[in-house]
Amino acid sequence: MMNRLSVFILGLAAFAVSAPAQNGLPLPSPVEKELAARASNVTEVTLGKNMLGFAAKFMNGKDQDEAATQRLIQGLDGIYVREYEFDKEGQYSMEDMQKLRSSFQTSEWTTIVREREKNGVTTEVMMKMVNGEPHGLFVLDAEPKELSIVLILGPIKMEDLHKLSGIGGLGVLDDIDTDGGKDKAKDKSKDKSKNGGDE
Amino acid sequence: MRQLILIPICFLALGLPVVVLASGAQGGFDAVVSSIESRYHVHAERIPLLGLISFFAARKQTSGVSGIHVAEIENLQGDVDGEELNTLVQQRLGQGWERVIRETSRGGSQTLIFMHPEGKKMGMFVLDLDGQEMNVVQMSVDPSHLSENIGKYEHHRDTEGETGN
Repeated sequence: MMNRLSVFILGLAAFAVSAPAQNGLPLPSPVEKELAARASNVTEVTLGKNMLGFAAKFMNGKDQDEAATQRLIQGLDGIYVREYEFDKEGQYSMEDMQKLRSSFQTSEWTTIVREREKNGVTTEVMMKMVNGEPHGLFVLDAEPKELSIVLILGPIKMEDLHKLSGIGGLGVLDDIDTDGGKDKAKDKSKDKSKNGGDE
Repeated sequence: MRQLILIPICFLALGLPVVVLASGAQGGFDAVVSSIESRYHVHAERIPLLGLISFFAARKQTSGVSGIHVAEIENLQGDVDGEELNTLVQQRLGQGWERVIRETSRGGSQTLIFMHPEGKKMGMFVLDLDGQEMNVVQMSVDPSHLSENIGKYEHHRDTEGETGN
């Protein structure tokens, strides 16, 4: 009996010490640190579940638009944005981009948009599906002198997604074709080969 | 005998989280500024009793901002390691504070914004490092008051726009 009690107390103590470090968002991968070291400007926005829940409390539920945004962010587990601006072109490689997207190349994640324009702008959108519903969104937007990552975790209503574009660093969400949600999600692949930065 | 050994272990196990959590509770604005002063051998200029003044001011007005603390540091010597400064602030602010925004530039400029829900209010901590100058501000913001005020200004702007046309 005493042994069980001891194990319980030790377990409780371990949880109490480790709990504050958990915020439901992935820790920065080594490639993010490498990119940050090469970039001239870096912007990081991290909104955990607590912050999103708190922000949702103060939205006006009477206004239709705000009510939709409120519903959207209330259920989210986190929003994670990284923007890297470089002095010159060629500061990131295809390998860097592959490392960034590697965490999302699992069976749960599906690429819904892959677009490469002639001016070197590449956009990739990946979505996490859980029981047929979108539960995560990863956007990798690469320009010759800029690289942006947006990761949204939690249940997402695709039709309300553009409402988040007002949040710092989420302007890229305005470019995503969310009309029709998962059923109409389309692969806009123009270049199926590995898309990379300027090398 | 075995039970006798388990008692101090359990005592330690229960005491450790208390000590860890209590050390976080001692953080905040003053702890951060003091740590910066000792780490970079600088003196921070603070406005005396600003916290008290803002507390009474907040009762008289409806801006939704209270508990203002400001510190200004000039003549920072040498380069400041951005990662080290970020870690220092994170550790000294204590439990419950989350870093929401971090903006860094190669020139050494850095802006850090931390937030912390305080009941119906939101604690906000801002550190801005620009060259040899650093400004540190902490305040308590009432989001409902703020959104009301922003709404008023937006309404005012919309009305001005309509009359202008």
